[in-house]
Amino acid sequence: MGSAIVVCLGLIVFMVVLIVAEGSSTFWPGRIHELRLSDGSVVLGVPLDEEPYVTQGEEDAAQVAVARQAGVPLGARAWSDEGLPIRRRYFVGNRDLGQATFRWIPLWQVQSIESPADAVLIEREEWGAFLGRLEGVVHDRLLPLDPGVDQFSSGDADGGDGAVERTQVQTARGLMLRERTWVARGSAAATTRVAQERAEASTRWSRRDDLNLNVIPGLESKIRRLRWQVQKARIEHERMLQHARDPLPLWLWLLMLVGTGGALIGGVRLGRRLKFSSHRWQRLAVPVCWVCAVLLGLAVYVERPGALPDLSGERLAGIEHQAETRIAQLREQQNTAMDELARLRSQDQLVRVIAIEPTRGRLSPVSRSEPDEPMLLSQVVRVVEANRIGFFGRLGVYFDRWGEYLSQAPRDGSAAGGVFPVIVGTVTLTLLLTISVVPLGVITALYLREYARQGLMTSIIRVAINNLAGVPSIVYGMFGLGFFCYILGGFIDSGPANPMPLANWWWLLVGAGVLLLTALGVGGLLRRQSIMGGGRRRRWPVLVALAGWSGAAVLAGWALATTPYFHGFFEEKLPEQPTFGGRGILWASLTLALLTLPVVIVATEEAVAAVPGSMREGSFGCGASKWQTIRRIVLPSAMPGIMTGAILAMARGAGEVAPLMLVGAVNLAPALPVSTEAPFLHGDRTFMHLGFHIYTLGFQNPDSEATEPLVWTTTLLLLFIVLMLNFSAIVLRARLRAGMRSAAL
Amino acid sequence: MPVRMEPPAILPRQAQSGEKRTGRSSGLVEAVHAGHPFVPEVHETLRDADAVVEVKDFTLWYGSTKALYSIDLRIPRKGVTALIGPSGCGKSTLLRSINRLNDLVDGVRVEGQMLLNQSPVYAPDVDVIELRKRLGMVFQKPNPFPKSIFENVVYPLRIDGENRRSLLEEACERALRSSALWDEVKDRLKSSALRLSGGQQQRLCIARAIVADPEVLLLDEPCSALDPLSTMRIEELIHEISRRYTVIIVTHNMQQAARVSRQTAFMYLGRLVEFGPTADIFQAPRLVETEQYVSGRFG
Repeated sequence: MGSAIVVCLGLIVFMVVLIVAEGSSTFWPGRIHELRLSDGSVVLGVPLDEEPYVTQGEEDAAQVAVARQAGVPLGARAWSDEGLPIRRRYFVGNRDLGQATFRWIPLWQVQSIESPADAVLIEREEWGAFLGRLEGVVHDRLLPLDPGVDQFSSGDADGGDGAVERTQVQTARGLMLRERTWVARGSAAATTRVAQERAEASTRWSRRDDLNLNVIPGLESKIRRLRWQVQKARIEHERMLQHARDPLPLWLWLLMLVGTGGALIGGVRLGRRLKFSSHRWQRLAVPVCWVCAVLLGLAVYVERPGALPDLSGERLAGIEHQAETRIAQLREQQNTAMDELARLRSQDQLVRVIAIEPTRGRLSPVSRSEPDEPMLLSQVVRVVEANRIGFFGRLGVYFDRWGEYLSQAPRDGSAAGGVFPVIVGTVTLTLLLTISVVPLGVITALYLREYARQGLMTSIIRVAINNLAGVPSIVYGMFGLGFFCYILGGFIDSGPANPMPLANWWWLLVGAGVLLLTALGVGGLLRRQSIMGGGRRRRWPVLVALAGWSGAAVLAGWALATTPYFHGFFEEKLPEQPTFGGRGILWASLTLALLTLPVVIVATEEAVAAVPGSMREGSFGCGASKWQTIRRIVLPSAMPGIMTGAILAMARGAGEVAPLMLVGAVNLAPALPVSTEAPFLHGDRTFMHLGFHIYTLGFQNPDSEATEPLVWTTTLLLLFIVLMLNFSAIVLRARLRAGMRSAAL
Repeated sequence: MPVRMEPPAILPRQAQSGEKRTGRSSGLVEAVHAGHPFVPEVHETLRDADAVVEVKDFTLWYGSTKALYSIDLRIPRKGVTALIGPSGCGKSTLLRSINRLNDLVDGVRVEGQMLLNQSPVYAPDVDVIELRKRLGMVFQKPNPFPKSIFENVVYPLRIDGENRRSLLEEACERALRSSALWDEVKDRLKSSALRLSGGQQQRLCIARAIVADPEVLLLDEPCSALDPLSTMRIEELIHEISRRYTVIIVTHNMQQAARVSRQTAFMYLGRLVEFGPTADIFQAPRLVETEQYVSGRFG
């Protein structure tokens, strides 16, 4: 028994320690080694782990044996206790130069290990880090080549700062003259210069990001919205042509309006007078009034004057013209923004950083296809002088990297940069899920516990709920995709697929009303069986009432699903871009809510059942109604238990990944699900999620070995966020409990 | 959740032969056995009193078990009426029938009539909620709500939709003064009622029961969970309150009934046996069952 606890706790502690240790060490800048190997090559790398290995093939074995005979520069460190050779894994970077990010180097091949002070690790926008030496910072200008003039003679190639080199280069625009001015030469000067130039360029870059991420996409979405408006007008015009008919005569409409009012007033007044009437047919008059009021009211609403679309071809043309003018204006603005962007880009082309790696003497290129052009300063994210900075310098880099990780969007195919949108997506999803699951679960549990007659039916429902908790989560994902995204979302987007003819539809509604009234009438028979007097409980009214209710519900659902009056809110965007008819954070959170519903129901039921009966009796004795008792006594007392359920639901929902892959989590979402634009919360947008991010980072990335440390860090973050969400809920619950024990509620 | 209660078992009849009898034999046991109706002994002074609660031929079943047999009882205005009798005799059931708290039990059925100040208690058009608001009830175990003292006392007013602060405070103070709790709690009205001692909690429940000025105060063994000192205080309080309210108290403790009540009803096997002024019931009971019960020979 005791050992089982030790094993469990040990495993949990080990898991947490492993995740914390691996996750928190990702951003620590290690020293850079310069290795000279026995074949004469030089390698720059950050040492990671080492292991003994078994040589493959006879040739290798022979080499190892020779090396051991002769002795190696590293001596005993190159061999393990068992006599096996040891190899060490180095992070060597420079992926764009065609080498693997990591390299195993056998220690017996190493001639010398040094930590040169000028070795740097340059984090870049793309292609991961570059390990090498900073040679200098240059200003490159491309000039047209003029064959008539000797453009190359005036350069002074003495190599000092400010030296100008002119060379002929092949570019996409043909042969050109490149004028390169050295503004800094040498590692130390270059590092300082990079910092200076970055500071100068920072406003330019923030403007560039603004244009790229906000201004141009914003204009684009405005244009799209105008297009959709026009499209909507066209659809309505079409519809008007198809269904052109005269509106209802005004007198008939007014009559219906009066009828609605009469039914409403009748319902209210009769309801007050006949509340305790012993005549069951009299009491039925009240629901009759209500059903009539609802039906007439609906009719009055859909036939309201001006309800028929009035979109003549003339008006349509007007709308189209207006939109075209506006779109032209917006295009103009967009072009201006593009021009500005191009200008900023060309300014960025000027400042370049020359960094050379020692293995093959190649420089860090501007792109893979232009290996001889040095990279732009704007491509440099961070220069880490790993061997020059002390402990506090490392600490600075460490926290700087954490800051970037937490506040920036991913870049370089999610392999670098931050996870800010991912965090936002996860937290938004979890909050939405909690907001939707708690009321639903609590109402269900209250009904089951407080209102439903305990019997076979409630037992079956309870068993079903408990079984729901065991359904694999991917099943919920499928359901969410099929029902929420396609059926429900499709309905919201474009209305019913096969709307019913008008007359049939109204008969359907009347039928639902009649069934409802039958159920209510027979239900009235049931209610007569109070504690006064005899009367045997008969079975048929129960069955008839049940059939009436379910029939009315089915008909009402059918009517809703086939209404000819609703054409969807977003039909103009179809089929090009579904709004709610696709994957999105709203459907994802509802799917997860469904998944976690059993947890909340069970916890709430237990909490409600634990409220002592004497409390209820006391409340009823004071003259409280059932609902007042529940609201004022039962719910506050059960609140800590309900909170426990909500916490469990949050914990389960926040960590769930499988269903999200189907209903809305994506690799790289174009926008956050929350914004400062109305409606602030965009339920139709796809989102990023930490769990899914871990999966794609670890298993979908082409260079998954390089992203492994980031996977650990993201895992740590997910763990932290789930813990924080739980912790805050637990604190809330503790305060509720304390409040109930001591202070006023 | 409906409150579940076990239907009280009707005690088997006990043979009482060979003992000294002061009162006349009622024929109760014989009537029960023969299934004949039993006519209770009601003392003359109470027959024509101005009744607050009139119980007329009232019968109650828990499912198929009959718990009350055609009870006829007129409870006079003001003063304390005690209901005594051995366990399971139906006295609590009768009390809870007055505010229809038995409605919460599954399978309860009643016949007969009951009037509260001339208005029917059991009729199809009676709003049970409104009816309960006219009555105050205190239970066997103190059951304050997990709220502050203040909120506990004003709870009946709150559920009635009263939210005016000054009015609530005034009512709270009045009720707490009436239940002799004001001086003890006036400085901590905001603290939880669950922190009070048992006796204080029960007095708080009394304050809660009288805050809305009920027509009748129903006490269901209010002291059975309290120590002697708290019991004494509650009894004093009942005495005090009975000047203004009609109080009906169910008690197991015959000394208590003798101390606090003006008239006493003795119930046995779901029937009313004898109803008379307390002094008469305890000192000169007319029926032998009453005499045996009050002298502690059974029950």
